Amino acid sequence: MKKYISVFTIVVLLFLPISAGCDNSIKLNPKNPVTLTFWHNYGGQLKETMDSMVDEFNDTVGAEKGIIINVTSISGSATLHKKLTMAANGDPGAPSLPDITTAYPKTALILAQKGLLADLNEQFSLQELSAYIPEFLEEGRLEGEHLYVFPTAKSTEVLFLNKTLFDRFAEDTGAKIEDLGTFEGIIRTASLYYDWTDKQTPNIANDGKMFFMPDSLFNFTLIGYKQMGAEFIKNGVTNFISPEYPRVWECYYKPAVIGQVAIHNGYATDLAKTGDIICSTGSTAGVSFFSPTVTYADNTSEPIELDILPYPVFEGGKKAAIQRGAGMSVIKSSKEKEYAAAIFLKWFTNPDNNLHFVSSTGYLPVTEEAFGEIMSQEIKNISDERIKKLLQTSRIMQKEYEFYIPPLFEDIDELQKQYEGQLKETATQSRKSYIEFLKSNNQITAYETVSNGKYDDFISKF
Amino acid sequence: MKNLLLTKIEFLKQELKKPGTNGTPMILRLFLFLLVLVLTIFLGVIAILFITGTFTAGMAESQRMFENELLHTSQDISQQYGELSIQAIEFSKELSRSIENKTTKLGIPVSDLQEHPEILEEVISSELDRTLFCLQRSKSSGVFFILNATINPALDNANNSRAGLYIKNMEPNILSSSSPTIIILRGIPSISRNNLLSLHAQWKMEFDVSDAPYYHLPTNTAQANKNLPLSRLYYWSPKLTLPDTSEEVMLCSVPLIDSQGNVFGVCGIEVSAMLFKLTHMPNNNIYPRLFCVLSPITEGTIQFQQSVFAGGFSARNISANNNVLRVSDNRRSFYSYKQNQDSSFLGIHTPVNLYPKGSAFCDEQWVTAIMVPEDDLVSSITKLNLSLIGLLMILIILGIIASYILSQRYLKPITEGLDMIKSTDLSAAPRTKIAEIDDLISFLAAHNEELYERARQENLSLTILDEFAENIKTLSPAERSVFVLYAQDHNAKEIAEILCLSINTIKTHTKRVYTKLNVTSREELLLYVNMLNEIGNKI
Repeated sequence: MKKYISVFTIVVLLFLPISAGCDNSIKLNPKNPVTLTFWHNYGGQLKETMDSMVDEFNDTVGAEKGIIINVTSISGSATLHKKLTMAANGDPGAPSLPDITTAYPKTALILAQKGLLADLNEQFSLQELSAYIPEFLEEGRLEGEHLYVFPTAKSTEVLFLNKTLFDRFAEDTGAKIEDLGTFEGIIRTASLYYDWTDKQTPNIANDGKMFFMPDSLFNFTLIGYKQMGAEFIKNGVTNFISPEYPRVWECYYKPAVIGQVAIHNGYATDLAKTGDIICSTGSTAGVSFFSPTVTYADNTSEPIELDILPYPVFEGGKKAAIQRGAGMSVIKSSKEKEYAAAIFLKWFTNPDNNLHFVSSTGYLPVTEEAFGEIMSQEIKNISDERIKKLLQTSRIMQKEYEFYIPPLFEDIDELQKQYEGQLKETATQSRKSYIEFLKSNNQITAYETVSNGKYDDFISKF
Repeated sequence: MKNLLLTKIEFLKQELKKPGTNGTPMILRLFLFLLVLVLTIFLGVIAILFITGTFTAGMAESQRMFENELLHTSQDISQQYGELSIQAIEFSKELSRSIENKTTKLGIPVSDLQEHPEILEEVISSELDRTLFCLQRSKSSGVFFILNATINPALDNANNSRAGLYIKNMEPNILSSSSPTIIILRGIPSISRNNLLSLHAQWKMEFDVSDAPYYHLPTNTAQANKNLPLSRLYYWSPKLTLPDTSEEVMLCSVPLIDSQGNVFGVCGIEVSAMLFKLTHMPNNNIYPRLFCVLSPITEGTIQFQQSVFAGGFSARNISANNNVLRVSDNRRSFYSYKQNQDSSFLGIHTPVNLYPKGSAFCDEQWVTAIMVPEDDLVSSITKLNLSLIGLLMILIILGIIASYILSQRYLKPITEGLDMIKSTDLSAAPRTKIAEIDDLISFLAAHNEELYERARQENLSLTILDEFAENIKTLSPAERSVFVLYAQDHNAKEIAEILCLSINTIKTHTKRVYTKLNVTSREELLLYVNMLNEIGNKI
């Protein structure tokens, strides 16, 4: 009998290596790597950084563990949102969902509600999660405590200033850069700039130039309310009856109609490239979209110095700014792929790599360690002056500002689109009428005429 | 452990020496016979596997897979690039006609655009819809046209700055009813403002054509070959990155020619590296790092820095290192593409015709290749063969174990039978239920019985002889002399003569000898003497 047991044991031992692959625990095989498709929104100049980081991962940790990251889409965040929702809804012509994607919480919420996202709590230990800035993690927790958006690089909004043109203007007019600390100060400076540029062509009346553009009117309003101690959105509904709204309105509608603030259905960087505006509020991540030169209508161009200032505050308000930035979401698939995706996320957000990404893109790091002293050291080594200024400003804001996470509900995207669309449309129509009225009236009369009743008309649409 | 092994080896040596001295044990003989049988079967299986090509099946299967993949990919690429070429030609014809009409209406010959930069904005803006239509129809990643004119001829770099329009579809691979993904890479900003199109992050107003074969080659060729139709004048540029941009693209450019045959610019269609990647991604279920490449080939060298890829990451790194791949076909199944000593690829390639016969650029050779890092292919096939060899080894080990067990089991009743045979009471031994052995035991039992009987009788005779021998010692010297002469076969008369005694004396001695030896006659005496001689007791 003992002999039979021995023979059986030998046979079992011989077959063990063959049946080892049936093990249920998650194991990656470097010789048979798992390929993860990856969509991200780091285009333009950010693409090189992202490409090099993906290559580095594939060559090091990926090769060692058996993971290949394959970038299959680089889109703007709006397009990415659309693509992801199309794919999630299974719309005709939509591509298949990737394994990892950059996603804003609003996008992730749509995917999460369809049960398409993997809960990253399962892939990270509590100790690992404790290394990340809690507010950043909190923003990615949706549908209860599920961690659906992992913070990889965050952003806030700042004020971008074409310092070369501003200095030229300030030299003539005495305008002060300190005035750009408040929205009211910006509007006063915008008025000054309009008059100054108008005077450059004495033979053409009222051809002053625009000075400012808030990249997102929705964020401008949300944060404006917050700075003044109120909430623009309560229980998913816009709050126009609050006394704060007229101040927001006055800081946009009036200068927009007069031609001091841009009404533009695109990014402020489009106008900054051609010197059509001097300053704009926008995401820190937008820094790489600012061209180092300004090209004028006659194709002449000049290099410009970009200054980056903390986000402006409504006079008398508290310092508050929005917390933005897409994180990364992992699409629910096989355990093997989810595990591999988590390895990539851990690698991408370890302090060294996170700072490498941050120092070439203008995003903010996501771990306590990276945000601390390491960042101060890193700032000194950055050769790109724009990024250096951006990170210095971000550090100041990190200390002095309160960061506000926008409310998240299913229709917020639609609400934002509707609000911005209506506001721009109202301003555009008024501007057209204003230009007509200007032909026979002075600025004050023309404005009073076109703006009459517009405020009430506007808020009655919501 | 080592000592144990040495002891085992020593034991085996001793065991092997034994057959030389005592003959080979039956169990060992049987085991070796069975082992020979197992090895013969094993070698036979290996021979069959070799003959049927099982060991090379992995390689053949991979080759088939590569060939299928290459066939589909090259067909897709030929079709896509062919269609894009046709659309670029159509776009050129329509655009040339439209721009010429426009300038004519403005009272300026199209060939004189350079002298009238003030109309460029109007001319370029008016072609936006046509350009957008071409972009949407072609499903390409970008469409452009470049005019032989600049908005500001007074600028220092005016010779290398050309006005035009370049619009890109950032997501050409998805169907979308709206156009938020269309942005302007090059062009007059008013086009962006008036048509709600964003400017690309790396927007510039004009094209920098200082190093732009996609502009100069078709225009120069068209000027030098006025008789060639547009279908023989279009040019596919290898992969390039436009100045001040970061995206890698291939451009199909066609000259813009007016009704007088004057070349006044180029237009064309872009295939971005991403579009190529998404359109021609090979099936990488078997080889995750499999990739396809569309590349110019010159003198057996694939120009990787000018190629577009779809597939694994490895391709990107090679391209980033600006390397070329030397092609060698020293293998039976695959071409070898060597980058340097450390890295090489295996795969196959086939020519792709981007140009028709008679084209001004038909000398340019392009290939589509399907490749995989050499290590991946080799390790995959090795893994397959190793598992086959592993299974065969398991088979042979099981064969050896089975031989051992069978020889043990076969010999067990025989050794038990022998033990029985060796036992004292063979007739009482149990049956082995093996006919041959039971027969043998029966036979040996009967034989033993006979032997016993004979022995019993022999024992009786021996007792009498012993007594006879003892009695000899009681004879007197005279009687002994007579007995000895009788034992030497002499009769009484001869003994009397030999001993010089009377016959009566001899008879007296004889009587006493007979009495003492307990025999009755001379014949009986001689019988005993002979029997004693037979058993070796000499008198």
